[in-house]
This record gives sequence, structure tokens and C-alpha cells, in this order.
Amino acid sequence: MARMKFLCDADRCIECNGCVTACKNANEVPWGVNRRRVVTLNDGQPGEKSVSVACMHCDDAPCAAVCPVDCFYTTPDGIVLHDKDLCIGCGYCFFACPFGAPQFPNATAFGSRGRMDKCTFCAGGPEEPGSSAEFEKYGANLIAEGMLPACAEMCATKALLAGDGDLVADIYRERSMSRDGRGQTWGWSQAYRTGLS
Amino acid sequence: MIVRRLLPIAGMLVLAMGVIGCYESPDATFFEAGEYKGANDPLIAKLEDSEFRAELDRRFNHQRDR
Repeated sequence: MARMKFLCDADRCIECNGCVTACKNANEVPWGVNRRRVVTLNDGQPGEKSVSVACMHCDDAPCAAVCPVDCFYTTPDGIVLHDKDLCIGCGYCFFACPFGAPQFPNATAFGSRGRMDKCTFCAGGPEEPGSSAEFEKYGANLIAEGMLPACAEMCATKALLAGDGDLVADIYRERSMSRDGRGQTWGWSQAYRTGLS
Repeated sequence: MIVRRLLPIAGMLVLAMGVIGCYESPDATFFEAGEYKGANDPLIAKLEDSEFRAELDRRFNHQRDR
């Protein structure tokens, strides 16, 4: 069985936030919740790097380990999902997650926390795939339709890769090797002429 | 006089009600921690279908550079 993973190629990511928009659009994510974010290091400086971050679907998911109501489960493909009917919105998973993936929408006008929401790898949740109940709770189930998660599907530069860890690693390895051969045809050193007097 | 007689009875009644309120059912629900308690996900069965799996793999392979 595959182990579904995301990988963001920092050399390709152009911080367009297309993945964030695609995710919000496909899953109709409520206001104030971002299942995916683009983080930029050394923003505005030559050599800045951007990485698209969401739930990493950990093999040994800390969110699942700390959940007091055991609402998390992992599919045989390694996608970490949760049951919103069981979730009590306590926020333990948010403390445990090193990526800040779990998000909590406002449940009431007074700001009380609703049930946890996170990236589902566009694989929905424990409801009939494609049903309105599933869409309302978890968003789109593109995996059941034989598609990639919306973020990876929409990435203009194919910086964001999704799929079996071996496949994703293989694609990245191929890219890295071809980049070395090309010697910065484009990129920061070419654009800013770094290293030239 | 009547009040002085009724007061201990009323006190006893309040105490009895309080003791009844403290009753706790001994039938506790035990379960294994760390075991998923939610509903089954039909997608899991679908992912085991080899035809669907092959279609999904083809789609994932399209991420390679052309």
C-alpha cells in the first residue's frame, strides 16, 4: 500500500498561493480557517524560499495520539482523517501538531471553538464519498474520484507534489539531478546576478 | 413549638435527598485508549479496488515533468 505524502519543492514554489485558493475553493473552507498556508523564509531578500504547508499526514500522528475522544484514523494509504461527529473541539491536537495543521472555526458569535478542521488530502471523511453530508463536514473527496488533492492538482509550477512517498521522492530526485546539469538557467542567481561584480 | 419539631425532620429529609443525589452508577464504560471510535469510512474499501487503484496511480504519475 502507498503512503500518501505531500512534498513542496521550495526551488519551484513562487508563493502564488494558488494551492491555498484551490483548497479553499474545492472544500469551501469556512472563514478564518486555512487548511493550507504558504510560508516564506527571508521574504523580500534574494534567495527567499516559500513552502506550502498543511497536514503532513504523519505516520505516527501526534494529533491522533493525544486525542481524548479518539476521533482520528489513518487509511491504509496513510491519510490521517478524523470524525467530526466525535470531535469535541478541545484543541489538544493543535498543541500536539508541529505544523499547526488543526484549525478551529468559530462555532458561535461569541468565539467558542467549533470542531477541528484540517487538510483531508481531499479524501473527505467517514461519510459516503461524494455525499452532501461529507462535503458539508469535510469538503471535497477528490481521491474517491481518482484525482489528486486540489492543491497539488492546481499548482502552476508543480512545486507541490502529492502521492505515494516513493513516487514523490522519485520525481523530486529526477528534478534535482536535472537541475544540477542545467546550471541555473533560471533562478535567483540568474535574476539578481549574485556572484557577479 | 411545631417548628422546633419539624426542623429536625426537615433536616433529615434534606440529608436523605443529598445522599440519594450522591449516588453513582457502578456501571462504568471502559474502552481501549487510542482506538478509533468513529464511523467507518467507505473510501477505505474503495481504495482496495485494484482498478480504481491503477487509475489513481496513473493520475499521480502525471506529476512528472514532461
